[in-house]
Amino acid sequence: MDMFYEQLVNGLAIGSFYALVAIGYSMVYGVMKLINFAHGDLFTLGSYLGYTILVAGSGWVTGVFGVWGGIVVSILGAMLGVGLAGLALERVAYKPVYKAGRLPLVVSALGASIFLSNGIMAVWGPRFQAYPMTSVPSGSLVLFGDFRITVLKLVTIIISLALMALIYFIVEKTLFGAAIRAAALDRDTATILGIDFRKIILFVFFVGPALGGLAGVFAGLNYTRIIFNLGWGYGLKAFTAVILGGIGNIPGAMLGGLLLGLMEAMFEGFVSGAWKNVFVFIILIVILIVRPTGIIGEKIAEKV
Amino acid sequence: MSDVTRNFLQRIARLQKRSAFSALDKRIQWGLLAALAVFMLAYPFLPFINNYWIDVGFFVGIYALLGLSLNIILGEVGLFNLGQAAFYAIGAYTTAILYTQLHIPIIILLPISALVAGGFAYLVASPIIHLRGDYLCIVTIGIGEIVRITALNNPFGLTNGANGITGIGNPDFGLFAVRTSTQFYYYIWIIVGLVILGLINLQKSRVGRAWNYIREDEIAAEANGIDVRHYKLLAFVIGTALAGIAGNVFGSKFMIISPSNFTFMESCLLFVIVLLGGLGSIPGSLLGAAIIVIFPEIFRQFATYRMLFFGAILIIMMIFRPEGILPRRRERTGLRGLGIRKLPQDEGKLLEEALQKAPKKVEKPGQANAASGEGIALETQHVSMNFGGLVAVNKFDLKVREGEITSLIGPNGAGKTTLFNVITGIYRPESGKVLFEGREISNLKPHQIIPRGVARTFQNIRLFPSLTCIENVMSGAHCHAHHGLWASILHLPAQQREERHILNLAAYRLHQVGLWEYRNELARNLPYGKQKTLEIARALASSPRLLILDEPSSGLNDAETEELMGLLTRLVAEGFTLLLIEHDMNVVMGISNSVTVMEMGTKIAEDLPRKIYNNPKVIEAYLGKEE
Amino acid sequence: MSTLLSVENLTVAYGAVEALKGISLEIPEGNIAAVLGANGAGKTTLLKAISGLIPIKSGSIKLRGEDLSRYPAFHLSEMGIMHVPEGRRVFATLSVEENLNLGSWSTRRKTPAQDLQRTMEWIYTLFPILKVRRKQLAGTLSGGEQQMLSIGRGLVSQPKILLLDEPSLGLAPVLVLEIFRVIRQIHEEQGVTILLVEQNARKALGIANYGYILETGKIALHDAAEALKTNEHVKSAYLGGQAARAG
Repeated sequence: MDMFYEQLVNGLAIGSFYALVAIGYSMVYGVMKLINFAHGDLFTLGSYLGYTILVAGSGWVTGVFGVWGGIVVSILGAMLGVGLAGLALERVAYKPVYKAGRLPLVVSALGASIFLSNGIMAVWGPRFQAYPMTSVPSGSLVLFGDFRITVLKLVTIIISLALMALIYFIVEKTLFGAAIRAAALDRDTATILGIDFRKIILFVFFVGPALGGLAGVFAGLNYTRIIFNLGWGYGLKAFTAVILGGIGNIPGAMLGGLLLGLMEAMFEGFVSGAWKNVFVFIILIVILIVRPTGIIGEKIAEKV
Repeated sequence: MSDVTRNFLQRIARLQKRSAFSALDKRIQWGLLAALAVFMLAYPFLPFINNYWIDVGFFVGIYALLGLSLNIILGEVGLFNLGQAAFYAIGAYTTAILYTQLHIPIIILLPISALVAGGFAYLVASPIIHLRGDYLCIVTIGIGEIVRITALNNPFGLTNGANGITGIGNPDFGLFAVRTSTQFYYYIWIIVGLVILGLINLQKSRVGRAWNYIREDEIAAEANGIDVRHYKLLAFVIGTALAGIAGNVFGSKFMIISPSNFTFMESCLLFVIVLLGGLGSIPGSLLGAAIIVIFPEIFRQFATYRMLFFGAILIIMMIFRPEGILPRRRERTGLRGLGIRKLPQDEGKLLEEALQKAPKKVEKPGQANAASGEGIALETQHVSMNFGGLVAVNKFDLKVREGEITSLIGPNGAGKTTLFNVITGIYRPESGKVLFEGREISNLKPHQIIPRGVARTFQNIRLFPSLTCIENVMSGAHCHAHHGLWASILHLPAQQREERHILNLAAYRLHQVGLWEYRNELARNLPYGKQKTLEIARALASSPRLLILDEPSSGLNDAETEELMGLLTRLVAEGFTLLLIEHDMNVVMGISNSVTVMEMGTKIAEDLPRKIYNNPKVIEAYLGKEE
Repeated sequence: MSTLLSVENLTVAYGAVEALKGISLEIPEGNIAAVLGANGAGKTTLLKAISGLIPIKSGSIKLRGEDLSRYPAFHLSEMGIMHVPEGRRVFATLSVEENLNLGSWSTRRKTPAQDLQRTMEWIYTLFPILKVRRKQLAGTLSGGEQQMLSIGRGLVSQPKILLLDEPSLGLAPVLVLEIFRVIRQIHEEQGVTILLVEQNARKALGIANYGYILETGKIALHDAAEALKTNEHVKSAYLGGQAARAG
C-alpha cells in the first residue's frame, strides 16, 4: 500500500506539471489552431530562469528572503520572464507566418523550438545543472501511519492545484473567459461583438507560457537536475494530456494532465519504469482511435 | 466578355509567350542539370575534398533519401508525419539484428529492411490514417518515441539498449564490397538516383495525381472516386519502406547504430527538409537535404550556435518563403508536364484526336437498365439524417427519371445539400435507402458510388486549387483506370496507353465546357464562374449517367447562367440524367422536367415546374406568403 | 431624416474575383432597408465589409459621415454597428446567458449596470424562451431559438444600426413569421435602424421602407419598398411573379 500512496503523490506532482504545461498548449491551440512546439522549451526556460535567480550572487535571494521567500521570488521572476518570452515568440515566429497556412506555421514552431532549446544550451551550457541544495526546502511531514511526504511536494501540489482552480474560474466563470472561448470558437463573430482578437492572443501567449514557466521551476526544485532539452519530454506528455482531455478544452487539459501523471506513476510503481513512456503513448493512440475527441470532448462534424 | 475574363486571357497569352522562351530555359535547365551530375560524379576526386567531406556527401545522400521518403507522405499526400525516424530506425535495427544474429548478407537485408519498415507502418497506420492533421502529427510523434524507447529498453536482449548494436557488416556484392567513403558515396547516390527516377514516374501517373488530389481536398478527392484510405496507406507504406532502406545503408556504413541516431530531432529535420524544399518537390527535397547537412558543417566553428542559427533561419524562411525554396511548378510545363510519352508537340492536335475518340452518347448499362425497369435513375426511399438532434432530412422520397432534369428546390437550410451528401455517400443515412438504377447504394462510400455512374459538384466550389485544370478534370477519369503502383513507377506501355486515354477524356470534357484554353492554368487562378464550370467538367470526366449539381448557377451573372442552361440542355440531349439544387427560378422553370420542393427536411411538393408555381404550400414556404 | 449609414462606390474582391463592384447605399436613421438578391449576389459580402470583417478594395463606408475604414473591426460594435451573421453563429459550447453577456462586451464599461439590466430584461421579453433556456448550452437550442439568441445577442449593446443577414434561413414558416414580427417590434420599440439581407423577398419588402436589388455584385435596382413590390422585374425574379403569369 505504501507504494500506492507514494506513487499517488508522485503522480499528482508530475501530473500537475503536465496539467500546467497542457493549459498553455490548449489555450494556444484554441485560438490559433497551432501545436506550439516551442511550449515545452518555454518550460525549460522557466526552469533555468528559476535556477539563475536562486544561484545568482551565490544564493543572494535565498539569503535575503529565506528559503521559501527565495522560491517565491524565483517563481515570480521565471513566470514573468517566460511570459514575456511567450509574447516575443508570438510576435516574431507566429504572427508573420499566420496567413501562410498551417504547415509553414508548424515549421516555424519547430524552428522556434530548436532556437529556444539551443539558445538555452548556448547560455547555460550543454550539461546538467543542479538547483542549489541551500535553496531547496528539505522538511517532510508525516501524513498518516509511516507515510511521509516532503513539504516541497505538498506545496507544489497545492499551489499547482490552486492555480488550476484560478484558471478554471477565469476561463469558465468570467466574461473574459467566455470571450476567450468565444474567440477560439469563432473569430469573426467574436470580432463583431467587439472582442479584440489580438488582445486574446497576447493574453494566451503570456499566461500559457507563464504557467509553463512555473511548472519548470517546480520541476527543477523537485528533481533538482535540469538540462537544456528537459522540456521536450514534458511538452510531449502535456500535449498527450491535451488530447486526453479534448483538444482546445482547457479544463479537459488540466484533468488530462493529472490523469496522465497518475497513470504514469502507477505504471512506473507497479509495472515498469523503463516502459512507462511507451505505455503513455499507447494510451494516446488508443484514445485517438476509440474516442478522438478526448474523454470530455464533443463531436463536431465537418461541414461539406 | 467581363474585365476579369479579359485580363485573364491576356495573362494566358503572356504565359504562352513565355513558354516560347522556355524552350531556351529548358536548354539552360538541362545544362545546369548536366553540370550538377558531372559535379556529383567527380566530387570525391575534386581537390581539397578529403574523406571527411566525402562522408558529408554521403550524408547528404542519406538525408536526400529520407527527405524523399517523407516527401511522399507529407509532400504528396499532406499527411503530417513527425515520426519518420521510427521507420528509419526499424530499417537500421532490422539490418543490424539480422546481420549480427543470423549473418544474413547486408544486400539481402536491404529489401528486407524496406519490407519490415513498410509492414510495420502498415500495421500502425491502418487504425490511425483517417485522423486529421494535428492528431496524426501527435500520434506519429508517439510512434517515434515508442520505437526509440523500445530500442533503448533492449527487449529480449536484441537491441543492446543505449549502447546500440556494433559489428554491422558492409554491403558485399560478391565481386566487390562497398567499404571506403568514396564507395559509400557512390552507393547511396546510385540508390537515391534510382529512387528519384521511380518517384518522377510515380508523380506523373494516376497514383501520384491521386495523392495530390487528397492533399488538395480530401473530401473532393473521395467524391471524385478516389479511394482516399487506400492511397494514404499506400503513400505511408512506400515512404516508410524507403526510410527503411536508408536505415539499412546508414547501419552498413557506420557499422554501429544506437537509439540516439533516431530521436525526435531527426524526424523534425526530415519534416524541415520537405518544407524547406517545397511540398511535393523532388529537387526541393534534395536541396533541403543538402542545406540541413551542409549548413551545420559550414558553421562548425560556431559549434554551440549552429543549431540556434538553424532554428532562426527556419522561422525566417517561413516568413519570407512559406511555399519552400523550389516548389513544384505545374503551370509552366504544359501538358507535357503530365509525363505521358509521345504526346503531339501541338496541343491542338491532341484535342482533335481526343474529340474524335470521345463518346458522343452516354453509354447505357446493359443489365442494370433492365433491373430499373420504369426508367427511374435514382430513388431515395424514406431517407433520414440527423445532426446532434436536429433533423436535417426527414423520411425523404425522391425520384429522378432517366434522361430528365429534376430540380430540388427549397429555402436555404432546408436540407437539400445534406440529401445530396447522403446520395453520394458522404453521409450514411440513419434510415431509408438510396437506389441507383435499381440497386442499393446507401451503404457504399463515395469512391465506390462514382464508378457506378453518379457524379456531383459542390455548392461551395471544391476544386483542387493548386493543380492545373486538366489535372483537375483527369481526377474524374481516375476511377475507371486500373494501373497501380509498379506499372506507374515503370511507366509500362499499357499504363501509358491508359494515361493517354484519361488525358483524352479530360481534354474532351474540358473542351466541351469551353475551358480548353485554360488547361494548363492552376484551378485557383480561374474566375469564379469558370471554376464552377470546371467542376462540372471534372464530374463529367467520370463518365457518369447521373450528374448531381449543387447550385450550379449561384454567383453566375446572366450571360454565364444563359451559357450554363445551354450546357445542361446539351448534356441531357447526350443522354445524361441531371439532378439539380437550384435557387434561380429562371433556371428551374426554364429547363427542368420535374421539381421537388423540400422544406425543413421534408418533401412538401413534387410536380411539373409550372404547377409548382401555383402550389399554395410552395408559395408560402419558399416564395413567401402574401401579406 | 439624416443619413446614418452611407456606402459609396464600394468594391470588394476575393483574390482576383470581385464580389462587389462599386455599390452605393444610403440608409436614413430609423429606417429599415432591405437588400435582396440571389445566392452569390454579394449580399453577405456587403454586410461583412460594413462590419469590417473583410477588407475593402475601394470606396467608402461612413457612419454619420465618419469613415469607418480607420477603425479596426472590433471597434465598430462600440460605435453602434452590430452584425447578426448568416447562419446564427451562436457560440455552441457557451451557455445562452454567456452568449448574451458577450453581446455587451463592447459597451459594458460605458453602460450603467441598471441600463444593461433593463436591456437584458427587454430582450427576455422579446424572446421569453431565451430566459427559460439561459443555463443551457447554445448548441442545444433549436434552429429558431438559435436565431433568436443571435438577434438577442446583437441587441445587448443597443446598436444604432443592426445588420441582419438572412434571419429566416432554414426556419419553418411559422418561425419566419415570428422572427419578422420581432424585427418589426424591435424597430418600433427602440427605433433601431436596420439593414436586412433576405432571400425571402416578400417578407423583407413587407417590413422595409426601402429596398436594394443586388445582382452579381452590382445594384440592379433600388426604390421604395412599395414600388419594388409592384416592379415587374422584381416580381418575376424574386416574388414568384412568374407563377401569376403561368397560372
